[in-house]
Amino acid sequence: MTTAAHHVGLTVTHLTKSYAGTEVVHDLSFTVRPGRITGFLGPNGSGKSTTMKMLLDLAAADHGTATVRDARYRDLSHPAGTVGVVLEPNAFHPGRSGRNHLRVLALAAGVPSARVDEVLDTVGLAPRAARRRVGTYSLGMKQRLSLAAALLTDPPVLVLDEPANGLDPQGIRELRDLLRARAERGHTVLVSSHLLTEVQHLVDDVVVISGGRLVTSGTVADLTDSAALVRTPDAPVLAARLADLGARVEHSDAETLVVSGLGLDKIGRAALELGVALHELSPQASSLEDVFFALTGSTTTHEEA
Amino acid sequence: MTSTHLIRSQLLNLATTRMPVAFGAVIVLLATVNGVAVVVGTDMDGSKTFISSGADQQSLVAFAANALMLAALFGATAAAREYAHNTAIATYLITPRRPRALLAQLTAIGAAGAVLGLLGTACTVVAVAATLPFTDYGFLMSATDVLRVLAVAAFAGASGAVLGAALGTLVRNTGGAVSATVVALVIAPPVVVQLVSEAARWVPMALATAASGIPGETGTATSLVGIAAWALLPALLAVWAVQRRDVV
Ligand SMILES: Nc1ncnc2c1ncn2[C@@H]1O[C@H](COP(=O)(O)OP(=O)(O)O)[C@@H](O)[C@H]1O
Ligand SMILES: [Mg+2]
Repeated sequence: MTTAAHHVGLTVTHLTKSYAGTEVVHDLSFTVRPGRITGFLGPNGSGKSTTMKMLLDLAAADHGTATVRDARYRDLSHPAGTVGVVLEPNAFHPGRSGRNHLRVLALAAGVPSARVDEVLDTVGLAPRAARRRVGTYSLGMKQRLSLAAALLTDPPVLVLDEPANGLDPQGIRELRDLLRARAERGHTVLVSSHLLTEVQHLVDDVVVISGGRLVTSGTVADLTDSAALVRTPDAPVLAARLADLGARVEHSDAETLVVSGLGLDKIGRAALELGVALHELSPQASSLEDVFFALTGSTTTHEEA
Repeated sequence: MTSTHLIRSQLLNLATTRMPVAFGAVIVLLATVNGVAVVVGTDMDGSKTFISSGADQQSLVAFAANALMLAALFGATAAAREYAHNTAIATYLITPRRPRALLAQLTAIGAAGAVLGLLGTACTVVAVAATLPFTDYGFLMSATDVLRVLAVAAFAGASGAVLGAALGTLVRNTGGAVSATVVALVIAPPVVVQLVSEAARWVPMALATAASGIPGETGTATSLVGIAAWALLPALLAVWAVQRRDVV
């Protein structure tokens, strides 16, 4: 059911939702491009799952809209064939086998039952395990089964809520390869996580939210390459000039500045104009972790789901 | 996808857990109790008039009221567990037009309820027919009577299942749904009858009994309509509820 690459992936516009008078998503807008893997990041309770539920018409927004390829989910001509979804880590009847779970979904979605064994193979669930009751599965196996369900229709859009949660490093690597292959086919992939370390080597773009509000969005490269390291004997002079130009300048020591918000070329030109000698001018790649911490106040590394 | 696909998916959904076996076991148990009653049971006066005529035997095997209750519990559990286990999410992702998804589910659960009613009656008839030779009486029901009891039990089973499933959809919690069903069918009716005595013949279990051809005030057709109404009312409420509330 895969169609050719589409120019729009997902669009979220001014999305707002309250539960019992408390706003959990506030005026949230972002887009997710096809052909890339987008990380949807934020601490626990920041509204990631709620946003995904609104995108998938499982929960109603108070304001705003969310669309998949320019259409509301319920207006898609074949919703299940368009979007593959992992939402809850444990959305199975414990007494049903993994294989039967997929057979039920395949029948409803109009997918030939042969596809069930294909996706079980894709996610690495052995035939014998697939015939066991889901109640006996580990969290990692359930995640694999969830992923298999999302892949049943071979959809061009994937929306995955914390798919790496409970996977071992091997499982995470397999997930990365799988999602990478799909992005390369022009598919749209949105992956949420409250653990940055889990997805930082997986994603191309990030959308970071905190307290239901957008904190930042962009490519991982943009976010991590945003600072420059400058070493100069005339640090105070250059710092003042760069600040005038709108940069944020921090003094690391007497001769070293960390400059953000201004390109390397502009910093170099400012130094030239001032006649200031530069001993070093280099991009300072902060880790995504640092950026994430600065933006959300959450380290997200050590906490458990 | 077509409604046929959705209904078949829901049927497979019902068939792939142990619930059918559990309810099948209850049916076999009830039939066995009837069989034992035929052999050892007596009326108050020590006679065996309860099996002495075709009409008596018919009221013994009339399973409609049991079918209604049993299927309602089946439907309540089947519908509520979709929320308890979050499998409702996949259902409504595949069919975001929620009334359509719910109607497919109610149809499948209703069909399962009809099968419960049929099986329950069939097992009871077999149990009674198999044990009558141990008494002084033969099997006195006509084929028409047997068919009628079967058909009415199937109808009551289907209606009960839809009623239960609707309550399960409204309550969304397995324990709560089973309680709501017991309240609706067993606890509330006597209370209502206390307040309004004319209501006695309109409560679901009384309608099911009347429809089985046990002589009474309410005719068969009226009883069937009454039973269907008891299923449709909560079903409409459930359709309304799934449309206006969040799935999760
Ligand atoms: N159905 C609900 N009813 C009430 N509050 C909810 C519901 N779902 C989520 N919340 C609240 O909304 C906030 C955001 O939750 P969620 O979207 O699950 O965050 P995340 O997925 O980022 O961890 C949390 O405070 C959570 O408690
Ligand atoms: Mg979440």
